[in-house]
Amino acid sequence: MELDRQPRRCLQKTLFMIVIHPFAKKLVNGKQNPKNYPYWKELIALIDEPIIQIGIEGEQQLTPDFRKNLPIPELRKLIQECRIWIGIDSFFQHLAWDEGKSGIVLWSVSDPLIFGHPENTNLLENRDNLSKNQFLWWDFTEHDASKFIEPEIVKNYL
Amino acid sequence: MDKILCSVATRGRYHTTLPLVLSAIINQTRLPDKLVIFDDNDEPKDLRNELAYSYFFKMLDLKGVQWQWLFAEKKGQHHIHQMANTMGYKWVWRVDDDAIPEPNVLENLYRIATKIDNVGAIGGSILTPPLIFDTSKSTGKIANIDKEPNIQWNHIENIVEVEHLHCSFLYRAGVHDYNLGLSRVAHREETLFTYGLYQKGYKILTVSDAVTWHFKNPQGGIRSETQQELYWHDEQIFRNIVGNSDRTIVVLNCGLGDHIVFNSILDSIPNPMVFGCYPEIIPCRSIAEAQALFGDLDQWNIYKKMAQWNWTGNLEDAYRKLYL
Repeated sequence: MELDRQPRRCLQKTLFMIVIHPFAKKLVNGKQNPKNYPYWKELIALIDEPIIQIGIEGEQQLTPDFRKNLPIPELRKLIQECRIWIGIDSFFQHLAWDEGKSGIVLWSVSDPLIFGHPENTNLLENRDNLSKNQFLWWDFTEHDASKFIEPEIVKNYL
Repeated sequence: MDKILCSVATRGRYHTTLPLVLSAIINQTRLPDKLVIFDDNDEPKDLRNELAYSYFFKMLDLKGVQWQWLFAEKKGQHHIHQMANTMGYKWVWRVDDDAIPEPNVLENLYRIATKIDNVGAIGGSILTPPLIFDTSKSTGKIANIDKEPNIQWNHIENIVEVEHLHCSFLYRAGVHDYNLGLSRVAHREETLFTYGLYQKGYKILTVSDAVTWHFKNPQGGIRSETQQELYWHDEQIFRNIVGNSDRTIVVLNCGLGDHIVFNSILDSIPNPMVFGCYPEIIPCRSIAEAQALFGDLDQWNIYKKMAQWNWTGNLEDAYRKLYL
């Protein structure tokens, strides 16, 4: 029986786990990063699958399973194990792209044509929302929740 | 026809060689589209009411040459040249404030620069009377810079491809940056700049019939600094860059995601020497070491580059443009 259960556990882990990477690096000026998705709680409430949040110490915990400060090899492993991942414009979308695993990226002011990867589902509310200068520090751009796509729409892509 | 900016950096020569230089520029057979004088004097003056200068400005107006007198920041002439380099002109003709070009210099430099493919910079003879050096065996290669007189220090018979230029020349603007990590004496700045163009695959040429007379003046000048340690500092940067000329210097002074994207093109970069922040992504040496070795790191700042290029492509292609 033990031998029989083990593979099932692996199968379950592979099929039903979603990884989320909710927050970009903190800004030097202490303000909220304009790339941070504002509707994580609402989106998480719509998802009926195990979710693992990854991030760093000091970030808001959104799910019971919050894995902080994981080294890169551990992150790579999680990317391979998840069914899909959801993130914002930060290093994680690049890491997952490097692993060849596509996911969902929630954009607002940065341009997915410059900083994104076409292999992903890049959800941008409107290109008119993009910051005029894509190459400055994000400290100079205010966070604006209206520039992000609604969680109900994101859910449709899962 | 391409637009040409003429830039003159000046210090301490209001009433010696600068008027001669301006007169020579105004009397070129092919005029620049704009002349900018970068005034780096400790006590800058408004010269519009001085007799000779007032006529110079009127002559420029009559000849249809835009002109501008800018008070510079006193950080060294490399900062001045970088400003000129990024003013949006296709070509910049840089003329020293003690180097007096003969009337045909710009015409001949521009004619050849646009006749031959892929010219990055082009210069003629720079003669300092009464000296004439034996340049018959000079190669113009950077490796021989300590062993041979510069080809430009004598009359030039034919077009010669070299690896670096000296003093005054015409260059393709906006494709390579001046090294702003040099001290304010900016020792070797033009050598590093033209060699950088050469390393990017552009032709660097010396040509005949483009003589500039260098009235080397111990008084004034943009390099009127005597602190030996500043020269030593700049010389070290020069040696480090030239000493690693067979390597592709990569500096990733940027985020983790940028390192990951760059890593995807690393294999296509010839003989890379990587400096970065995330050795767990790419084996690399530290940014502090890069700063110490090469001075200014802005030339490798991918975000600054993308802004300069008005980039709309993806980050991976921007890295390709910067390093390949």
